[in-house]
Amino acid sequence: MIPFNFEYYEPSTIQEAVHLFKVLDDQGKHPLYYSGGTEIITLGRINEIYTGAVIDIKNIPECSTLAIHNEKLILGCALTLSELHDSGLFPLLGETGAGVADRTSRNKITLGGNICSQIIYREAVLPLLLTDSEVRIAGPGGMQQVPINQIFNQKLQLRKGELFVQSITDTSYIHMPYTAVKKRKVSAIDYPLVTIAAIRTNSMIRLAFSGVCSFPFRSQMIEEIINRHQIPLQSRVEEAVNHLPAPILDDIKGSAAYREFVFKNTLFDTIRLVGGG
Amino acid sequence: MSHMDHLEVVGKSILKKESPDKATGRAKYTGDYTESGLLHAAMVTSSYAHANILNIDTSAAWQVKGVRTILTGEDSHVLTGEEIRDRPIIAKDRVRFFGETVAVVVADTEAAAKQAAYSMIVQYEPLQVVNSPTQAIRKGAPLVHPNLGQYKAADGVNPIPGTNVASLIKIRKGQMEKGWSDSEVVIENTVSFAPSDHAAMETRSAVAEIRPDGHIVIETSSQAPFAVKKYMGLYFNIEPGWIIVKTPFVGGGYGGKAAIQLEPIAYLASKAVGGRKVKIINTREEDMVTSPGHIGLEARVKLGSTSKGEITAAEIIYWFDGGAYNDKSSDVARAAAADCTGPYAINNLYCDCMTIYTNHPYASAYRGYGHAELTFAIERAMDALAEKLGMDPLELRTMNIVTPGDTSPTRNMLNSSNLGDLRECMRRLRNLSGWDEWKVKQVDANKVRSKGISCGWKNSSMDPNASSGAIVSFNPDGSLNLECGVVEIGTGTKTVLAQILAERMKLDPSQIHVKFTIDTAITPEHWKTVASRGTFMGGRAVLKAADDAIRQLLDIAGCVLRVDPEDLEVGWGKVFVRSDPAVHVDFKDICYGYTYPNGNSIGGQIIGRGHYIQRQMTYLNPETGEVGPEWNVSAQAVEIELDISDYNYKILKAISVIDAGKVLNPKGAEGQVMGAMSMGLSFGNRETFIFNDQGIVLNPTLRDYPLIRYGENPEYIVKFIENPCLEAPFGARALGEHGLIGMPAALASALSRAAGVHLNHLPLFPERIWRTKMRVPYDTV
Repeated sequence: MIPFNFEYYEPSTIQEAVHLFKVLDDQGKHPLYYSGGTEIITLGRINEIYTGAVIDIKNIPECSTLAIHNEKLILGCALTLSELHDSGLFPLLGETGAGVADRTSRNKITLGGNICSQIIYREAVLPLLLTDSEVRIAGPGGMQQVPINQIFNQKLQLRKGELFVQSITDTSYIHMPYTAVKKRKVSAIDYPLVTIAAIRTNSMIRLAFSGVCSFPFRSQMIEEIINRHQIPLQSRVEEAVNHLPAPILDDIKGSAAYREFVFKNTLFDTIRLVGGG
Repeated sequence: MSHMDHLEVVGKSILKKESPDKATGRAKYTGDYTESGLLHAAMVTSSYAHANILNIDTSAAWQVKGVRTILTGEDSHVLTGEEIRDRPIIAKDRVRFFGETVAVVVADTEAAAKQAAYSMIVQYEPLQVVNSPTQAIRKGAPLVHPNLGQYKAADGVNPIPGTNVASLIKIRKGQMEKGWSDSEVVIENTVSFAPSDHAAMETRSAVAEIRPDGHIVIETSSQAPFAVKKYMGLYFNIEPGWIIVKTPFVGGGYGGKAAIQLEPIAYLASKAVGGRKVKIINTREEDMVTSPGHIGLEARVKLGSTSKGEITAAEIIYWFDGGAYNDKSSDVARAAAADCTGPYAINNLYCDCMTIYTNHPYASAYRGYGHAELTFAIERAMDALAEKLGMDPLELRTMNIVTPGDTSPTRNMLNSSNLGDLRECMRRLRNLSGWDEWKVKQVDANKVRSKGISCGWKNSSMDPNASSGAIVSFNPDGSLNLECGVVEIGTGTKTVLAQILAERMKLDPSQIHVKFTIDTAITPEHWKTVASRGTFMGGRAVLKAADDAIRQLLDIAGCVLRVDPEDLEVGWGKVFVRSDPAVHVDFKDICYGYTYPNGNSIGGQIIGRGHYIQRQMTYLNPETGEVGPEWNVSAQAVEIELDISDYNYKILKAISVIDAGKVLNPKGAEGQVMGAMSMGLSFGNRETFIFNDQGIVLNPTLRDYPLIRYGENPEYIVKFIENPCLEAPFGARALGEHGLIGMPAALASALSRAAGVHLNHLPLFPERIWRTKMRVPYDTV
């Protein structure tokens, strides 16, 4: 049971949603954009999230877009991970998302919710980082479209009241060889010890990671090391560990030492699976 | 129709009588209870494992609309505990574990109660934490209970005041000096695992009311409503007649719901609001750490044997991590001590079994009652001994298992009735597991498959005066009602009891209506629905009640049919003349009295009553023994596939062969054993509380406390042999717990074989195997 009362709003346009946020925030109601609600419900009941008003964005048409226009795949933030997976339109995103939680939860967890989550893994962002996708962000000043690699740094760098509306991905990326490998502590359903998503473009392997550090990332440095084909793969993998952007995560899912071991194994396997390594 | 036709209800797979209600979601549990005017309680729990409570600021909580009262440790001075009266209902002055109840709010709505609970500010002064049994017994360790010597302790509990030892039990047998001097090979092995949870699907809850006439009515999700009645009377000095306890279906107990914990809180809460009805229901997080859980253990086993593998001596030390309060942990330890060697005949034995206080969540019963725990210690030592001897581990076990004519660790003489046939179980296991074909094999470059085995035994140790009762009544259609005190906790026991009644009455089981809800005011007592005693004790009581009803049926039928009752028999809803079944009268015409054509009536309602008390039970006496009731046995195996590149593994197959005595409901029995195996594998493979160095549980949520789910399960193979126990109904032995007992040990055995290291600490996370292999120690866990 959520112990606090909150108001519920159901805008039908983006402008209305963004405006509502401003008004409710001015009233001191700590508004939250609401879509699947899994995080608000599960953290709200243990008093780790508070909101006085939720703004449900599921009925805003742009937020549920699932379309290809001019060789661009447009995905609305309110699409669930199950919908993304079942559509088959972006297999790497579908498969990466399918590693999150369980099917029942994924029927509710959305693309936007996962990427903007308080929980540190945000695995759905990995395919967007690899494919140089762009994201549409709505804010008080209107809509802007920015490369995800610019605006995602540890998490989506949104200002207060801004809403991640859609992602836009060049469909040429979608047909490239890809792989996603998730390693967990022990169960079939859990947060990652290590998740690695990879694609192989014409020129190189691209890699993005979750669970290794306390945030998901794509590292140009690691990509550069891994693509030095003249060096044996094992040595490249060893070298990659030295260029992680932050200390290796050390928590109840796995110690830093074990994660490093799993990271190296998984990176090795990922590269072999995606080919061209 | 002939009296020679036997219905044979017993031995058939009858659908559980509660299944339609449960499968459609209509079955009601304690937490489903609601009514207008019901008040709700919510708890504030400790964020420290060991601390003095300096201040509880309730001012913000009182501002929440709908708050009726706020209780703290100051509101009751009663100490509770079945074995040692050491636990305040609400923490007083000091908290001793993370999650301990510090305050309780009662409000008009659940939301208001929770909101008020969240707005309370508790100030603590942290104290040094006792974070394991090893730390607890170190010289100069802080005392969890400085007043241990002043607490009341039950018979057989031996606290050592001035230490963290809640109870010490010594088992001695034979001559150790001789045992060691006869031994040619000696091994020593240590094992450990931290406390964990039961994780029943239904979180615990209780509803309490004090009626204006003085009756205290408690509805509770309990395996032991009659014990709630008894102990509430004892704790609060109330005559038991004034206490009425009701229990509907219980959504899984596993021992955790045999503890009394929420009931006194609900009672205090109701008392504080003028006796109004108050409901308290655990959140999942509270159910995991605030309510009692599964015991932890550190153990050291030293075995000596001849070079041929005959065990000559055993020195066993168990340090059970009972947590901050004793509850049933010293009794779990007692049960483990009584069966401390596992199912092996060891004539020279020295065992010290200690229950240790730590600043961990406290332990109650857990399915197997100390036996999966002791089995893990013993079986790991058996594997170590087999390795040192260069012997096949199954051969070593077969050579040393107990057989009729041996004595138990407490020197009870074992015979073929009070001891299951383990040799036959092992023979079957050997074939089923393909043990002689291979034990370990390489599948490809990275994959290794291996097998592990475990033997187990368990004595359903219980209170010596534990009893069970049953009432059989009739409906005007001649069908029967069965009422008994066994709680339906998901085991299907009440369906089996209906089968037993149907068998004795020679009726179709559909003619037996079972009452599920327990109401201690009218339901005949069944001690506790624990220890795999439901079918045994309840079954004996039901048979006696059936015989009582049959005698009454024969008496009245004798009048009606004008024959000697001794010439009559019952069956198929009739009483008939044995030699001429055509001469008969239907149950429906006599069960409410018989009316002659002119209206004259004789007889009356027939009510059959029965009871059972296990014979010759005694308190544990290491010198003279603990009499049974009986030791039931299992032989188990696990097959795994380990990836040696990353130490991930799959559990491919799990096998149990159990001496069931007599299988009363094959599908039900198989389900019980399979469920227990899943629980044992989950405990062995993943379930544990993770403590930081301050004793804080870092994973008190199902997000971070994983359980084996559907799809992760191995292939389960469950087989029974039938070597009857002569005292049991139709010979049926206990089997609710045996599927669990050997699973952690068999899993560790298989993984050790595949990884080439000794795995002695649970759970067996891949990281743990990697660490053992790489010799990387754990820092905190």
